[in-house]
Amino acid sequence: MGGSERIYTANIVDTVIFRSLGKSPNQHLQSLKQAVEEAGTELWVSPSIYRELADYGQEPPRNPYLDTGIEEGWIRVATPLSENRETSFDSLCDPVEQAQHLADDYLNQQSKYPETNNWRDASVVALAVRLFEQNTRIRVITHTADEGLARACARIPPEFGYYEIESRYYNPPQTAKQQFPIVESLSWSGQ
Amino acid sequence: MSYDTEHVRNAGNGPTMITGLPTFTELLTNTNLADLYTATRQSSGLTAPELIERVDVSKKTVYEYLHRLERAGLVVETENSGGARVYEAEDFELTLTIRRIEVSITPEIVAVMARADEYPVVNRVCDEHGFVTFALAHDLINAHSEGDVTIRQIAGLADLSDGTAYDLVEALYEIQKLGDTDSGPTTFTPDDVANDDLASDLTDE
Repeated sequence: MGGSERIYTANIVDTVIFRSLGKSPNQHLQSLKQAVEEAGTELWVSPSIYRELADYGQEPPRNPYLDTGIEEGWIRVATPLSENRETSFDSLCDPVEQAQHLADDYLNQQSKYPETNNWRDASVVALAVRLFEQNTRIRVITHTADEGLARACARIPPEFGYYEIESRYYNPPQTAKQQFPIVESLSWSGQ
Repeated sequence: MSYDTEHVRNAGNGPTMITGLPTFTELLTNTNLADLYTATRQSSGLTAPELIERVDVSKKTVYEYLHRLERAGLVVETENSGGARVYEAEDFELTLTIRRIEVSITPEIVAVMARADEYPVVNRVCDEHGFVTFALAHDLINAHSEGDVTIRQIAGLADLSDGTAYDLVEALYEIQKLGDTDSGPTTFTPDDVANDDLASDLTDE
């Protein structure tokens, strides 16, 4: 690589992708672990997505989709993002919060059913902006099965000066079983 | 002569005899009947022996069901060019309006019910949340395949748990062959979506 400083690639993954892969242990998650290692990356989820996948029916609660990967160190849960959906955009100074509000508005605007969007969808975009804010040499790849959210992931970060993002959209959602846990999906394609 | 009365509209060739009305609603609860109707609709011009090969019930039941579907006007028996007796399915829409909520039973809904035994989430939603919720979720999932809603929105709009919404999305995508299974994931870059409008009141200085 000519001694150039290595660029870190982070993969942000939405709930539907892990639901598609199924609970641990299984072959899909094993393939994912290998692909993550080969691609030299990590998978990131927001805390709200961790909670969506957690099983609160047992004590202590477990996350059958994520806990194994977290314990093995290839899945990372971000620190909490803003829950203040009602705060006006004008009063926000934090780019991460601004991005979440912008994504929320974008999703409502794109939707056939405006004003019904879920705040957790916007957390995927906010996490991308946070990783950009916290790392100078980073590329981000997002993975979701919602087209509007996939577009938001590529549309919002450039508003904050971050263009090194690729957003993968899996359609139908169940194709993520085969198409997500491979090195190509987790690696920067430079399209 | 055509009609446009309070209960009969656009009859065209005059009132058609429709009997056996319970068959319409049975299509929602009898998987095998739904499967036979759907098989007839998806491959028109099949003979009874060909239909017997397509569905998972006895020969006797197939003939009984075909008779029932004929009485309801849902299939018609005709003769093909080779002189064989073949069956054609008729499209239909049964609309119910209760407490100002209008819900339609259509062949697309019946095609999903025909596969309910393979996808337990279908019956679970119908049993636990009712048919209106199921029909609503069905339409929202089709809207999802067009990019019009997110899965979390489907859960919120249909008042389903996130887990049930995800299961139903996967089931209906498979049953209805929604989406594009042949290609890999679509990758959006900033250049691809640069022309998507952002809320102007947030981004304008």
